Amino acid sequence: MIELRHLTKIFDNSTAVDAIDLIIKSGEFFGLLGPNGAGKTTTISMLSTLLLPSSGEILIDKELLSRKRQDLKQKISVITQEYSMRQDMDMDEIMEYQGRLYFIPVRKIRARTEELFAFAGLTEHRHKTIRKLSGGMKRKLMVCRALLTEPQILLLDEPTAGMDAISRRQMWNLLRQLNEQGITILLTTHYIEEAQSLCHRVALMNDGKLTDVDTPAHLIEKLGAFAVDELRPEGVRSRYFPGREQAIAYLSGIKGRCTLRDTTLEDVFVEQAGKHLS
Amino acid sequence: MGIITILWEKWREFVRDFSRITLAAMVAPLMYLIVFGWGIRTTMNGQPYLYFLIPGVVSLTTMNGSFNAIAQNLNVQRLYEKAFDQVIISPTPLWQFIAGQIIAGALRGLYAGGIILLLVFPIKTGLVFNFLSFIILFLNGAVFSSIGIVVSFLARNHADVPRFSNYFIMPMAYLCNTFFSTDNIPHGARELIAILPLSQTSRMIRGIASGVQTSLAGILFLLLYLTVCTGIALIFVYQKKNL
Repeated sequence: MIELRHLTKIFDNSTAVDAIDLIIKSGEFFGLLGPNGAGKTTTISMLSTLLLPSSGEILIDKELLSRKRQDLKQKISVITQEYSMRQDMDMDEIMEYQGRLYFIPVRKIRARTEELFAFAGLTEHRHKTIRKLSGGMKRKLMVCRALLTEPQILLLDEPTAGMDAISRRQMWNLLRQLNEQGITILLTTHYIEEAQSLCHRVALMNDGKLTDVDTPAHLIEKLGAFAVDELRPEGVRSRYFPGREQAIAYLSGIKGRCTLRDTTLEDVFVEQAGKHLS
Repeated sequence: MGIITILWEKWREFVRDFSRITLAAMVAPLMYLIVFGWGIRTTMNGQPYLYFLIPGVVSLTTMNGSFNAIAQNLNVQRLYEKAFDQVIISPTPLWQFIAGQIIAGALRGLYAGGIILLLVFPIKTGLVFNFLSFIILFLNGAVFSSIGIVVSFLARNHADVPRFSNYFIMPMAYLCNTFFSTDNIPHGARELIAILPLSQTSRMIRGIASGVQTSLAGILFLLLYLTVCTGIALIFVYQKKNL
């Protein structure tokens, strides 16, 4: 279980994360959504101890997380937004280095690397140095590296950034499988439709604060399960209704072009983010 | 265990860049020896100047070898590659990471110094480099590795490490009892230079090399520098809120 208690991060005079309270249950697939600059990466960075909180605390299985807590860090793997790897190493070296940092015996590192590379389709590229890899390959390698340590908690900060559609889909399937095996996953992503299908619960974040935490279905229900998009000269304006009948009634009064559809998590996201931006 | 991991990482780096590292370690000291030793032929205390020069150049080479092996590399890993994040996130105790870097840096310095000793070996100077010399050179390398760690942690951009090198390492290379005796430097400056780590190393290495009875109090100086810099590095990795 991950517990954030009044977690706050202040850089100079700006508050990046503002007194967040959140509990993520063991085995949960949890999404952290928000516009750029909302504080998602800062939150993940604090969970991975790259940044230390200005105030508040993080508990992993009810134990206080710090840079000194080897036992807690052993449970966590992180895929950062940036390619945090030595550019002069080859893929095998990256994996071995990671395994050694997690105290995994070398024989096991090599066996598991074989499996993971075969799974990710990286075997034939294993002797290439990192600087010669494409962005997508680097991402796959980061996933392999994170899974090498068999974590209980997986923190993913935009894990599919730079991946093509096929690789992205493979990645989502993999994450689903991992979660089914019991791994707790905390994910930030800009692919909200995928967060909707993957995550048990999501938190909407804006200006460092959590504005809502719920299941995707409840969040959609709160906004209104049906959406009417009305094409206006200034752009598309969406209105939300709890029932199909109300939506159709509204639709019948509109003269211009319009469409009726199901509301998505992206609508919830846009509405929440839009409110804060306006 | 974590120390072995860091030594493994540095060993891989050494194997990969063996020729570049070896050449880089050789060029500058070799130039000093050629220009000041063979080019400008002079004597010091009735002996060829080269005999005075070699211990100084070996000392400064271990300093440069160690500092350069750690400072720039760690700076790139922290600010550009973000590979340092991998270490922070991992369960490897951060003190072991620091210790591994210091030992690896000291060994790289020793390697660079060893190359110079091999190059001057055919000259038959009669200078003595014994086990104690190598302990002192290792310690000197450890001090400058720890300084390299601190500098790379304080650096805010890629230019900061070369800048520190220009302002502190290069003046030390020339002034700290390496190319000339500091006995004739005016009071104040002389004492200031004397407490710098390279001055202590050069003095001890030269004393041992020429067979003169020499005080080993400099080892305490080096240990003090090593303790202080390691302490700063540990505070940084454990306490600094934004790495």
